[in-house]
Amino acid sequence: MTTQSRGFLRDNSLSLAFGALFLLTLVGQALSGLADYNAQQVAQGLATVSLGDYVTSSTFGVDVMENWQSEYLQFFLFIYATVWLIQLGSTESKPVGEEGKESDEDQKLGRHTEPSSPVWAKVGGWRTALYSRSLGTLMGVLFLLTWAASAVAGWAAYNSEQLADREDPVSWLGYLGEADFWNRSFQNWQSEMLAVGSMAVFSVYLRQRGSAESKPVGESHAATGSSG
Amino acid sequence: MSSATARPLVLVIGGALVLLAAGCASAEQPQVERVATVFEDPSADASTRCDLLLPTAREQLEQDEQSSCVEAINSLPLDGGDVTGIEVWGGDAQVRLGQDTVFLSKTPGGWRVAAAACTPRTERPYDCQLEAS
Repeated sequence: MTTQSRGFLRDNSLSLAFGALFLLTLVGQALSGLADYNAQQVAQGLATVSLGDYVTSSTFGVDVMENWQSEYLQFFLFIYATVWLIQLGSTESKPVGEEGKESDEDQKLGRHTEPSSPVWAKVGGWRTALYSRSLGTLMGVLFLLTWAASAVAGWAAYNSEQLADREDPVSWLGYLGEADFWNRSFQNWQSEMLAVGSMAVFSVYLRQRGSAESKPVGESHAATGSSG
Repeated sequence: MSSATARPLVLVIGGALVLLAAGCASAEQPQVERVATVFEDPSADASTRCDLLLPTAREQLEQDEQSSCVEAINSLPLDGGDVTGIEVWGGDAQVRLGQDTVFLSKTPGGWRVAAAACTPRTERPYDCQLEAS
């Protein structure tokens, strides 16, 4: 496997492409959301708002955060689940028999580190312990932060709707007990769990030639963890 | 990740966001209170009170009473009283007075009354005698 750099753009084409797609779709959400919001405002005889006002509103905020929190929850659960759980034949799984944290030799730790190993993998102690959990930890922290943000933005948006419907607003703790908060959370979570489960199963039997997410076309269904 | 690490982070971020939201809302409270108290003041000029109505609320009032707002507004049970509570969320607000509850909406020209003479109902929206269509 070659590790020679071929230039920044080619070496980072995947992240750059999805970064650009993220920005484009976020702009699309802002524009379409603004149009939808202003249509509702006009229907209620109220004034329309500018794009700047809309993207700083709780309505836009909750719509963005409720999606981000579910994505980070998905990755948090998937990263930790694939330490212990197996899907025979799937590219999303380790091979059968390798459940668990694996040996230091397999993980290139301790006396098995290599010159090119990351610094915090070589130093040992709490740094290596933390680094060994850094990916899942970051996803978990990002999930909690974005879930908290969606709870606050959702609370503000919910209370605005309450007043528009001539009902009393609720406290933040009260909002955490409202169906609106949990409906938003569960509707996002179910799609993420479906996506992971689908990918785990589909990758057993289906192929996409050349994709890192697929087994080689001619690979057997029982081969687990291979890709390319 | 330990809960001992996560919980303080959530509380700090959540608290900061709550304070931000509260700060933005509190800046609007003086204007909301002024509009509501002037509207609910029976001694205030009828034309001024009518100008504080959302256009659609004014239209609904005139349609229901079959008269101009200036003539109809004094017949409404807008009993006012001291302000006991103010809630501002985005472009919507609620002012609770001793004898009434008023709902307001924000327009380019400022806050305007969207509903008044409102009576609370258990687990249902307020019943408002004056309401924007």
